[in-house]
Parts: sequence; structure tokens; C-alpha cells
Amino acid sequence: MRQIGWNWLGVVPFFAFALLFLMLPTMNIVIGAFQNPEGQFTLQNLAGLASPRIVDSFVISIKISLASAVLGCLIGFAMAAAVVMGGVPGWIKAPLMTFSGVASNFAGVPLAFAFIATLGRVGLVTMLLKQWFGINIYAMGFNLLSFWGLTLTYLFFQIPLMILIITPALEGLKREWREAAEVLGASTGQYWRMVALPILFPSLLGTFALLFANSFGAVATAYALTGSSLSIVPIMLFAQIRGDVLQDPHLGYAMAFGMIVVTGLANLAYVIMRTRAERWMR
Amino acid sequence: MSFLVLDHLQKSFGTTKVVHDFNLSVDKGEFVSFLGPSGCGKTTVLRMVAGFETPSEGQIVIDGQDVTRLRPNQRQIGMVFQSYALFPNLTVAENVGFGLKVAGVPRAERGPRVAEMLDLIGLPDLGGRYPWQLSGGQQQRVALARALAPRPRVLLLDEPLSALDAKIRVSLRNQIREIQQQLGITTIFVTHDQEEALSISDRIVVMHKGIADQTGTPSDIYNSPATHFVAGFVGTLNRFEAEVVDAASGHVRVAGAGILLERPLPPGKVVLAARPESLQIAPEGIPAEITGVEFLGSVQRLRARVDGAEVVLDRFNAPGEELPRPGARVHLAAARASWLVLPE
Amino acid sequence: MKRLWSWAAIIAGSLYFLLPLIGTVEFSLRMRRGEYSLDAYRSVLADPNFRDTFGYSIVMALLTIVLGVLIVVPTAYWVRLRLPRLRPVIEFITLLPLVIPAIVVVFGYIRLYNTSSVLPLTGTAGGTNLLLLCGYATLALPYMYRAVDTGLSTLDVRSLTEAAQSLGAGWVRIIGRLILPNVLGAVMSGAFLSFAIVIGEFTMAALLNRPAFGPYMQLLGANRAYEPAALAVIAFAATWGCMGLMQLISRLLGVRKTAK
Repeated sequence: MRQIGWNWLGVVPFFAFALLFLMLPTMNIVIGAFQNPEGQFTLQNLAGLASPRIVDSFVISIKISLASAVLGCLIGFAMAAAVVMGGVPGWIKAPLMTFSGVASNFAGVPLAFAFIATLGRVGLVTMLLKQWFGINIYAMGFNLLSFWGLTLTYLFFQIPLMILIITPALEGLKREWREAAEVLGASTGQYWRMVALPILFPSLLGTFALLFANSFGAVATAYALTGSSLSIVPIMLFAQIRGDVLQDPHLGYAMAFGMIVVTGLANLAYVIMRTRAERWMR
Repeated sequence: MSFLVLDHLQKSFGTTKVVHDFNLSVDKGEFVSFLGPSGCGKTTVLRMVAGFETPSEGQIVIDGQDVTRLRPNQRQIGMVFQSYALFPNLTVAENVGFGLKVAGVPRAERGPRVAEMLDLIGLPDLGGRYPWQLSGGQQQRVALARALAPRPRVLLLDEPLSALDAKIRVSLRNQIREIQQQLGITTIFVTHDQEEALSISDRIVVMHKGIADQTGTPSDIYNSPATHFVAGFVGTLNRFEAEVVDAASGHVRVAGAGILLERPLPPGKVVLAARPESLQIAPEGIPAEITGVEFLGSVQRLRARVDGAEVVLDRFNAPGEELPRPGARVHLAAARASWLVLPE
Repeated sequence: MKRLWSWAAIIAGSLYFLLPLIGTVEFSLRMRRGEYSLDAYRSVLADPNFRDTFGYSIVMALLTIVLGVLIVVPTAYWVRLRLPRLRPVIEFITLLPLVIPAIVVVFGYIRLYNTSSVLPLTGTAGGTNLLLLCGYATLALPYMYRAVDTGLSTLDVRSLTEAAQSLGAGWVRIIGRLILPNVLGAVMSGAFLSFAIVIGEFTMAALLNRPAFGPYMQLLGANRAYEPAALAVIAFAATWGCMGLMQLISRLLGVRKTAK
């Protein structure tokens, strides 16, 4: 018994840290979401989330996250597949993976600057399109500070993250599976539909969930890009924390709780799918 | 009329030629093994038959049809891989039925055929399992059933037993041979294990550096190897430098002892060879000194030195019989017909 | 046909990634009307706020790495050695910062450590700095733990420890002199990742009102035209530098390890 007691001592600093700076603060918010200003239990705050302004912010946040996750998955998959099995020269893989490692961490304020400098009203691409092709994308209704602008910007870290995660999965597809399918008479399409995609499906869905959570919780890029002109959830919460714009602190807790629920569900899906993928890949 | 003909096959990867001028005719229902060390080109030939590699030169004909330029999925071939290669997302039954499904066979006809195949491999109750729930031997049997289900014209087995435990290896190879004979399917079996090849083949092709050194029945290959490589690769062989005394009558001299082979020989020097089981201790013959004795159960293996070179003798265990001691001086002899004369 | 599509995907993707980089560089050079110049960079570098906030964030990043190593290395080591059953729990906790958005965590800090609480960290500048530091260490936790745990998995921790103990070494010496040097490559890669995360971090610093580089960049972005592009170039170069150093060092350590 004494031995066990001593062993536990070794992880006390870690648990103390995690408790103080991760778990207790989060619990505090969660509990706050179920309390009224007098500290009594209530569901009033969660009911308050149903106000059109907050519902709208969740809807647009989820829309942007879905769009950037779907596009990130598709484009990232296409690039990873091109490198792994598309007959592109082998030397392309290493720089692509290194670049993806950097770009997937290049979220935040500088990313917003980069896109303003590129696709803003006087950005490079905007100007070039106008000068060379006579296309004025802003006259055509494009706006960087909008749903599509934000989605396009998020893709800059979403696509690399997809490439980083899905490349090993694609490489895990055994050559023999493809050959076995071929020799049994399957066409390339049949192989993908009946074997490769079902095998990759958990990885794809899992990564999708991760990308979704990734863009759902992103604050800095959106804030630097749009200020507070686009009311997505993290930006509303940011404004709420700074100045109580909702005029009800506990509604803020409920909003934060809503964020945890959304990203938590997405990550739960990721973990479950990953477990399935690993079982198959053995 | 041969069922499967490989005619002057050649294959190069870049500037390396891995298969040189490979020729083989296989009869319908025949079981042919490709035997050779790794890198000898045997798998490349098999992959050309399957359609995964295109020959640089030559032609592949199955049942009178030139398939050289056909894609793998147009060849109606069954293949079993070393790594089983079962589809992990499908059940055993779905794996076995895969070839039928992609061929558009309706579900109602697939079911009975899958059941028949599972019966054939002796796993009738495992149709609902997933591959990861099976042992290696079971997985390989399912892979065999999957390959056979669409009634292929030719069955290709690429080292199917190499990933398995020794015991399962023997039982599964017997099962493969039984099923092959039962169905009468033309089969090519690639292996680096000579015992496997010798035990289940109708014919063996011994390959070496991209060339078929010798093609023949297991007893041909074992008893009259055509090249030094075949002699050395298949079984253990004792070699003796011999001096030809009389080329016409086949009289030679080994380590001072005369041997009469009664067959014509080239003049000068030759290399004689004898299998461990054909050498015996005799009252007179080649002088040797026993250097070691190993007891292997049913067989006793004696090591001896002749003229500085080591030779090995095998003899059946006979209880009560006294074994020679290390250091004992003996004479070795072999039956006249069992001496091999190796070509230069 | 397949190759054509592959090239199309690669080229389209590369264009998408390269254009913003080119655009940013080009924009950052446009400050002087009619010609390219480095004026924007000069203006940024001359700004005392830039130097102050950049310096602040670098110090914070270094402290984050130290704190992260102090928390992660002994824990990961101890769990592998003595409490393997606890590993799933620890792994789960280290992944939580990826699940809980940073903005929620810092919201919790503000509520939990405000001036009227038991531990009024936000009451003083020093306390808030400490809180921000712990927040950063939390953000870096998943990356740091994953890196160190991967590094430890290549060692036979138990035998190494028992060998050291049989020679009379104490715990501090075992961790400091034996385990840490052996996982240095892994720690380095975790460290550079932490650095890249912390150096431009915005949300926590802004909400805790600390003069860090992230909020400075945001502020500049809201008020200036060309300087933000120059800042983005600098930040991107810093991130690239970190990643490059990380690969270089892990490669050097890897070479030394195989050469030994």
C-alpha cells in the first residue's frame, strides 16, 4: 500500500496544474452556465441561447466550420492522394509535408493580414484580376469580410492539417488490397467504392470532425480579419468577455458552454472514428 | 496443347534485367512451383502472369488467348498473396463473394457459392467474422476461397505460407494441394522453401538470377540437378573433387579411393556429388574421419572430413546400433546410381 | 490521365498557398507610392511597441517551454515507469486543450482568478503574467506531451532507470542527467512548436490585457495599412525559422544518436 501512495506522488504536479489551469476554469464556466446571478441552479441561461442573435451566431459559425472542413477535407485529400498515389515525382512529398506542418500552425492574426494583402480591396490578386482580366471581384459581390472570405482564409490552415493527417492513412492502404481487388475483376472505381473509401472512411470522418472543431474555436484570424462585423460565436464571446455586450454575464457562460458542447461532440466523433480506423489498419 | 504458355518472357526495371528469356508450358490442372532465393525473379514472373507487370518482351497465353496486354481485372485469374490481403472492411463472406459481386453475379447466386467455398476451406461457420478476428492460417484459407470463388482459369500463389507458423505451414500446404487436385485448377506456386516445393508440386521450376535453371518433377530436380546452383539450392549435397582415370568406363579416383561409375565421363577432372542419405559407412571406400554426431530423432547426422572438406551423412535411427565416435577413421561409399556428376 | 489530375491538384493547391505569401510580401513593399521599398519594415522595427511586445512574447514563449518541460517530462517518465495504467487518463487530459477552445479556458481564468477570488491572480501584473504563462503552457500541453511521449517510447525507460539506480543515482539526477538528454530531440520539437504557438497568440493575451505581440499585431492591423503585411512576413519568417530549426536539430540529434 505504501508503495502505491508514493507512486501517486509523482504525478501530483501534473494533476495539480491540469486541475488549476484547465479543468477548474472549464468547470467553472460549465457550472456558471447553469446558475443565476444569485448562484442558484437554473436552465434560464441555456434557454437564453435561443435568442435570434445567438442562434444566428451559432448557425453562421457552424456553417463556416462545415464549409471549411468539407473543402479542407476534399482539397487536402486530393493533394495527399496526388502525392501518395498519383504518379507525381517523389521529391514533392517532403516539402509538401514540411510546408503543411508550418501552415497548419500559421493561424491567427498574421494569416488575416496575409489574406487582406492578397484578396482585400487593394490586395495583390484583386488588383491583378482587375488589371489583367478586367474582373472586379468586389463589384461581383465578393467580400473578404464575409462567410466565403472567412472560409477561404481558414482553408489556409485546414488543408495542411488534412494533408498531415490523411497522408499516413493513404500510405497505410496496402498495395496488395488494390492488386487483390484488380485480380478479382474489380475496376478502379469499384476498388475505391468497395474497398479503399470504406477503409479510409473512419479517418476521413474523424479528420473532418477535427477540422470542424479547429475552425469553430478559432478567434484570432476572424477577429483580425473582420473586427466584430461578422458575428460568429467566438467573436461574440470575445466581445462579451471584454465588455458584457449581452448585458448578462451568465448568458456568456451559456455561450461558452455551447462552444464546449459543439467542439466536444466533434472531437468525440474523431476519437471514436480513429479507434475504428486503427483496428482496421493493423 | 498447353493451357498456360509463357513464351520468351523478359522483364527489365530501368537498366536492370530481372527476368531473362523465361519459357514455360503448363498443362491444364498442373501444379507448378517456382523455387528460388529472393530476388531470383520468380515473383516478377508471377506478377507478369497476373498482369501487375507488363513484360518487356515475350507473350503470355492462357487457354489459347493472348493475355499479354490485358489488364489484371480482364484475365480471370485467382491470386493469393503472402500478406493475405483480405479487405479489412468486409466480412469473411463478403471477402469471398467480392469477385462475384464485381462481376455482377446476383446476390441469390452469390450466397450458395460463398457457402460452398467456405465449406471447401473448412471454415463454414466463420462467414460473419471480420479478418482481424481470424488467425493467420484462417485468413490465408479465406484468401484462397476468395481467389477460387469466381472460378478463375489459373490460380497464382505468391509465397502464401511464408507468414505462417511452421506447423500451420505444413497442414495448410497439404490442404492447398488437396483443394487444387479436387478442383483440377492450373496452379503456379511461388516459394523459396524447397521442402514446400518438393512436397506438393507436379513440376518445379528452379530459378536463379532471372533464369529458369531447371524445370522438372520434384524427383528429377532432387536426383539429377542440371546445374551447380540447383544441386546446391535443393537439398544438401556433398561434393568430391574427382580425377578421371578412364573416361570410357567411368573410372574415377576420390581421395585415393577408386570408384567405378560405369558411365562415360569427360577426361580430366570432374565434381562428384552425393546426397547425405546415399552416403554410407562401408568396409572400404573413400577414407574419412568422423568429426561430429548429431541425433535428430528419426535421423542421425554424421559429420566427417574428407581431404580437408566436410561431408554430411544421414542415416535412419536404429535403436541398439552403435554410433561411430568423433575421431574414428572410417570409409565412405555410395550406391553406383546415386552418384551425381556435376557439369562444369 | 491520373497523373494529369494529380498535377492539377498539386498546382492548384500550391497556387492557393503561394499567392497569399507573395501577396503579403508584395503588399508589405508598397508603402512608398509608385515604387517598392522597405519603409513598412523600417516603420515596424522603429516602433518601440513592436520591440516591447515582441520581446515580451519571446520571453513568455521561452518561459512556456521551461514550464512545459518541467511539467511534462517528469510526468511522462513517471507514468511510463510506475503508473502505466494511468497513461490513458494522462493522454486524455493532455488532449483536452484541443477540445476546449482557448477562449473558454481564459474565460474561466478571468472568472476563477479575479480580484475577489481566493487566488486573485488578475489583481497584479505579475499575477496576470503568471496566469498567461500557465495558459500558454496549457495550450502547448498536447504538442509537448505527444512529442516527449514519442521520444520516451524509443527508450527502455525501466532498464535505464534501474541501471542508474544500481549506480546510486537519485531521482533528480536520473531525470536531469539521464532521461532529459535522451529525449532532447523530442523535447526540442515540442519546444519549437510551443514557441510558434505562443509567439503570435492573440486570444488569451488580449483577454488578460497583456502587452503581447498578438494583440499588438491586431491593433496595428486595425489602424495601419502596410505595416501589418510587414508584420505578417516577419511572423511567418519566425514560424518558418522555428520549424526549420526544429527539423535541423532533430536531424542533428538523430545523426548523433545513430553514430554513437
